[in-house]
Amino acid sequence: MSQPKVIIVSSDDEKFPVELKVAEKSILIKNMVNDLNPDGLEEDFELPTPNVKSTVLAKVLEWCEHHKDSIFPDDDEEDAKKSAPVDEWDKNFLQVDQEMLYEIILAANYLNIRPLLDSGCKIVAEMIRGKSPEELRRTFNIVNDFSPEEEAAIRRENEWAEDR
Amino acid sequence: MNLQDSCAPATQPSSEHTRAFNSILTHGISSERGVQVTPDTLRSDLAENDEKVTTIQNTSLLPPFQVPAQSAQPTQTSSASPSLQLFKKATTPSAVQSRAASTAASPSTTTGLVPPPASSSSASMASSALDAPFSKFHTPPPDAGQQDMSVVTPFLVKHISDQSMIPKDNFHKFCYRHNPDVTCNKTTDEAKMKKIQKKMEKLPSRDQEALSHVWSIFSAAPDQHRSLILQGILSQCCFPQLSFIAQEVSQLIRIDFISTLPMEISLKILCYLDCNSLCNAAQVSRKWKSLADDDRVWHHMCEQHIDRKCPNCGWGLPLMHMKRAREYQGEYDQEVKRRKTEAASSDASATVTPSNTAVIGDSQASNTESENATSTATAVPESSSSSSVIASNTAATTKLKRRAWKSVYSERYKLEKNWRKGIHTIKTFYGHTDDVTCLQFNRKYLMTGSYDSTIRIWKVDTGECLKVLSGHTKGIRSLVFDSQKLITGGLDNTIKVWNYHTGQCISTYRGHDAAVVSVDFCNKTIVSGSADHTVKVWHVDSRTCYTLRGHSSWVNSVKIHSPSNTVFSASDDTTIRMWDLENNQCLRIFGGIENNGHIGQIQSVIPFIYKDDMDYDKNSDSDNEIIEDENGVAVPAARSGRNGQASLTAIPDGDEASSTEEINEIQLPTNANYPTHLLSASLDNTIKLWDIKTGKCIRTQFGHIEGVWSISSDTFRIISGAHDRLVKVWDLQSGKCLHTFGNSSSVSAVALSDSKFCVGMENGNVKMYCFDDES
Repeated sequence: MSQPKVIIVSSDDEKFPVELKVAEKSILIKNMVNDLNPDGLEEDFELPTPNVKSTVLAKVLEWCEHHKDSIFPDDDEEDAKKSAPVDEWDKNFLQVDQEMLYEIILAANYLNIRPLLDSGCKIVAEMIRGKSPEELRRTFNIVNDFSPEEEAAIRRENEWAEDR
Repeated sequence: MNLQDSCAPATQPSSEHTRAFNSILTHGISSERGVQVTPDTLRSDLAENDEKVTTIQNTSLLPPFQVPAQSAQPTQTSSASPSLQLFKKATTPSAVQSRAASTAASPSTTTGLVPPPASSSSASMASSALDAPFSKFHTPPPDAGQQDMSVVTPFLVKHISDQSMIPKDNFHKFCYRHNPDVTCNKTTDEAKMKKIQKKMEKLPSRDQEALSHVWSIFSAAPDQHRSLILQGILSQCCFPQLSFIAQEVSQLIRIDFISTLPMEISLKILCYLDCNSLCNAAQVSRKWKSLADDDRVWHHMCEQHIDRKCPNCGWGLPLMHMKRAREYQGEYDQEVKRRKTEAASSDASATVTPSNTAVIGDSQASNTESENATSTATAVPESSSSSSVIASNTAATTKLKRRAWKSVYSERYKLEKNWRKGIHTIKTFYGHTDDVTCLQFNRKYLMTGSYDSTIRIWKVDTGECLKVLSGHTKGIRSLVFDSQKLITGGLDNTIKVWNYHTGQCISTYRGHDAAVVSVDFCNKTIVSGSADHTVKVWHVDSRTCYTLRGHSSWVNSVKIHSPSNTVFSASDDTTIRMWDLENNQCLRIFGGIENNGHIGQIQSVIPFIYKDDMDYDKNSDSDNEIIEDENGVAVPAARSGRNGQASLTAIPDGDEASSTEEINEIQLPTNANYPTHLLSASLDNTIKLWDIKTGKCIRTQFGHIEGVWSISSDTFRIISGAHDRLVKVWDLQSGKCLHTFGNSSSVSAVALSDSKFCVGMENGNVKMYCFDDES
């Protein structure tokens, strides 16, 4: 036991001991660790994440572990980030059911893991891209709450984007 | 398979409930140890079943099966507050409790199947819509054997009464789909419920009871128990059953991400989409529409696409500043009037139209600059407006109504689509009696110069000829205008400056020894290129004129690049020269076979700044390398010989470096304002793209079959007019030809704006192709 670890505790009280480097992928955890250990981490440090349950936390930490040495572009480089396609590993990693994807996005948002949040959002965007309104409703189980007249009007309003 | 065995490992012996449960499970599944029900109750049960089912399904949209699905979610989230979301918001803990009490108190009553007795009726009514059908399906039947009740009822009582432990703070304890503040999107699959109901009805009633036991146990169980139940069931499943589960589950887990995620994340997701997908998303539901039409999303879309090519989709949309200027002209005119009456500096306000409006914001170039249709590809935002004008703009801006970014986008998108599809209307301007050699237009005026020695000023929207300017004694070869003045160069060796509002010639510049075939100006500097092989720079304020010598033949095109204070001149000698206006020195020569230069007279040159990657000819570079490799030593020798010849006639004023090589060896100062690229058109039928830094031609566009007289370009396109009577529209970035338009006569001049282009022809006619019409 050389290096002290960060022990992340899920909402259902499961404990995940991880390297500091891995935990710091979460800016929230990084800041908490730094704020509470101004002199550096000297012993194992337990951190609760009451919004994240163990199944999701395990997934998120798997991502952090894989990307512990990855360098991500700065937030400022809005353009580069926007245009970059989803990393191949992330794409496979996020091949999960919608519920898990949903929870991962929420967890990435809560834990402030920008690159994971970006990947998750891009995956959802890919699920939306190129689908007709009816296909979208089917994909996401949405009820059409427009009246037929409204629907026709909205369709006309958006016609300009079709057929490019 | 022995259920008891398969479940055992997963079962905690210490848990009383689990054990109870386990035995229930066993009851439900094993037929030998089935639930004891008397035939009588069965019949009455069945008889009442149909009736009850329909009434309950009518009153409740939510089916029983939603209960387990829903409660499974929240209970997992927190061990501190188990099972807190088992019931929806309508169910208060007390209601739950009393309902549980009723179940316990009257075990022999078919709660749900039969109207509940008075003691429990209020509680049943109070319980949410969810509970009603749930109890319908799941409640233990009447007269269930004692052994059964001893397990089921206590379990239900225990766990349902556990609900009273729900913390009052339920807001963030609810899972997103059951938070009372979030619209629940999981909808009842009514068809499926009916199917299940039908299948149930086909079973013997004791089996029905057994099944409903399983469900009721599950729905009453707290989260950890549910996991165990599921694990137990799953471990019994064979592959086909698991496959069935996998299919069902993939159908069931469909989450409305956009509606239920926090808004900023939903907007972030939408920002990754293209406009077509966004417009489809806006048609999905009310909630989706409000998010997919959000101004923040479309502002981002506009940022990505307007006046630049989007790196993702390859679409770029025109700025359409001219259109904006027109829209706000009315308001602006009023503003000017007001200012004039206030005796403010009327000079400034008369020349500058409102530039920065609320919609396009900072990216919009000031109008004086960008209204010039022939201006080069980069309308560099240059704020030449005085502070007083800025003040007037802000005053005007506050009055402007803000437009939705989506409409800003769609307007430009429609225009770009027309460009891509080549949908246009044509206006023809008849009047000139000879070759139209030059033209320029803005939103109001089209000005054309002709070999018939006149300049005509036309109104763009009506096509009416407003003025005919005469004064040149021979043909006009070049013209350029801004909001006040028009400058023309003619075959009579003169340059004339006109006030085109009055039609008066203000001044005439003489100095060239031969025809003036090109003019350009910027602020108080006029540059002219002539058949006398020189370029002259006229400083109007100081009344000085410099002559730039170097070309060995006619100078057909001159362009000032004001950000870097340089001039580019294109000549019949097949080269382009870049001059520094500070010291009148030649900085670069673009040409020569070694640089893949033109082999015919160059008629037109356009310097511009392009920041994105430009597609270039991959072959041209390697070709050059091959030639050099093959010839080895011979190449430099030949090169110096050719350039030596040129240098005899091309000696720039007071410039020691005289040969092409020597000039090009001078490192360009790392001045960020230099243009990055040049476009040139030549009578060798080609259009070439040059890299300013290396001085090499990086792309050659073939397609015209006779000499190219004129080109014009903007951020996205190049228009070329040639002797082969064709006008071609090219993609600036890729160099691909997008459209070809035929004409009745050879094309001598072209000009381009966001929404139109204009061609001047040898037969004296002028045609305007408009892409902004809705039709």
